Amino acid sequence: MAFEMGEETRQVPGTWDISTYRYKIEGRGLNLLTEAMKEGKIRGVRCHECGTVYVPGPTFCRKCFIDIDEVVEVKDTGEVVSYAVEMSNMRGEPLDEKRITAMIKLDGSDTWIVGTITDIDWEDVEVGMKVKSVWVDEPAGKLNDIDHFEPL
Amino acid sequence: MRNVGIIGVGYTPVFVSKRKDVNIAELISEAVDAGFRETNLKPEDIDAFTFGNMQTFEGLNMPHLWASDHIRALDKPIIRISTGGTTGMSTLQAAYYYVASGMYDVVMAVTWEKHSEGDAQVGLSGIIIPEVIAMVQSGMDLAGGRGVGAMGGGSTGTAAYQAMSYLHHSGADPEHIDKMAAMERSNAAKNPYAHLRKETTVEDIQATPFIAWPLRYGHTCPTTDGATVCIVASEEKAAKLADQVAWITGLGACASDPCTGNLIEGQITDPAEQEPCCIASAKALEMAGIEDPKKEIDMCEMYDGFAHQSLMWLEKTGLCEVGEAHKLLDAGELEIEGRIPTNASGGVFSTNAIGTSAMNRPAECALQIMDRVEGGHKIPKKIKNALAHGWGGMFQYVTVMILSDTPRKLYPDGR
Repeated sequence: MAFEMGEETRQVPGTWDISTYRYKIEGRGLNLLTEAMKEGKIRGVRCHECGTVYVPGPTFCRKCFIDIDEVVEVKDTGEVVSYAVEMSNMRGEPLDEKRITAMIKLDGSDTWIVGTITDIDWEDVEVGMKVKSVWVDEPAGKLNDIDHFEPL
Repeated sequence: MRNVGIIGVGYTPVFVSKRKDVNIAELISEAVDAGFRETNLKPEDIDAFTFGNMQTFEGLNMPHLWASDHIRALDKPIIRISTGGTTGMSTLQAAYYYVASGMYDVVMAVTWEKHSEGDAQVGLSGIIIPEVIAMVQSGMDLAGGRGVGAMGGGSTGTAAYQAMSYLHHSGADPEHIDKMAAMERSNAAKNPYAHLRKETTVEDIQATPFIAWPLRYGHTCPTTDGATVCIVASEEKAAKLADQVAWITGLGACASDPCTGNLIEGQITDPAEQEPCCIASAKALEMAGIEDPKKEIDMCEMYDGFAHQSLMWLEKTGLCEVGEAHKLLDAGELEIEGRIPTNASGGVFSTNAIGTSAMNRPAECALQIMDRVEGGHKIPKKIKNALAHGWGGMFQYVTVMILSDTPRKLYPDGR
């Protein structure tokens, strides 16, 4: 007997309320970071064994496998580790305004975070270029307090 | 430890976007039957099975158990392996362990994916949901427009960072990605078991739109329905059962810190660094007794979901120096007639039924060694040693396998 598959995937309307997940990641490093961002600062955790500075900071060093809790402040300037330029939206349609997103290693940290870069033509972006954070007017302790990055 | 060789490979008759004429169990059974036909073995000749596909991609639980009759595994040991993109090679490595240990003599490794019956994007999302929720709780913009955490979505969005970092560190140009893509698609056109089978030029690739610079639509793999099996046997059994054997002479597998999806604890790894590939490859080459891979490896099959990756893996596996892969491409050395044919099959880039993707790499090497390639992608020179590579996880898990035309010389202590 031949098996016949439907032509198209059926869509069922509904919502997915992610707030119903009961387990919250402790997120000590994430909380440390957002608390610092309220003051317009960036803080991470340094491993006292190998010196690696993580932002956001984990509770243990992933290189040394030891507990770490030495809080350090890092700068809000950094260097582009790599970048991509979004040229189409989720449906594959070309974007009118191309968006540059980058992996950025903040000065004083050994890890990278992701953010958007503006005020530069996408063709001029380079790996290794220096960028600075542009903060919102009234930081509220959210990851969005750094709105974007600009060339330094 | 005993020597283990691949004595047969079975593919589904085609690898295409949508196999509407068969269900999942029927699809898998086509490859299983092909494996029996290729080796003239019967189900009773198989001692045990290993089975692999991506978790969550079809939303299925325990397919190895409910499909066990369709793969002729009733009353036999069967174990499911699922290590992401590397699933196929991990499944074959598990079959190797079974036989090398002396536990079983003949084992069938079964892998498959039926992308058309699932949603890979939902499956991939499941990997990073806890991270995303934690970041949303800390004020990340879920739409991704502003602030820390804003990023390109999907595997292309993240692979674009890897591609850009690779280009920067190797000195290659974006045009080399176009060239690699055109070469592999043209190889696939010769392979009857490839999915996107079209003679392709650099201009064809350059006519496709960018998704995320530097990656174009023409740089990305398809999603495929298909299944592959490999039958492995001990040296003693292989002598009785098979005329040609591709010996598994080296294996390696290695994970590093995730290069993506771990934003809440600080990402320490550059996605183009790929240290696990260097480590796994060195381990596999050492086990196979290969001292100079640049000279002794005659072909390779790389796991390249995106066209820049084959070039990157050539450098990371040690088959060439850093910054040399794109020069080999320009010199024509990576073509089927070249010095180190790379993805003569067309690669994952042209055929991507994910569970099979890392299995088809050693399977293609085995077929070349056994001189049983169907189609025009047969490498004209004699293949003594081949390198097969698998990649996946959070951009950080790599498997490597060396296949050879002669059995491995065991270490003095019997390993």
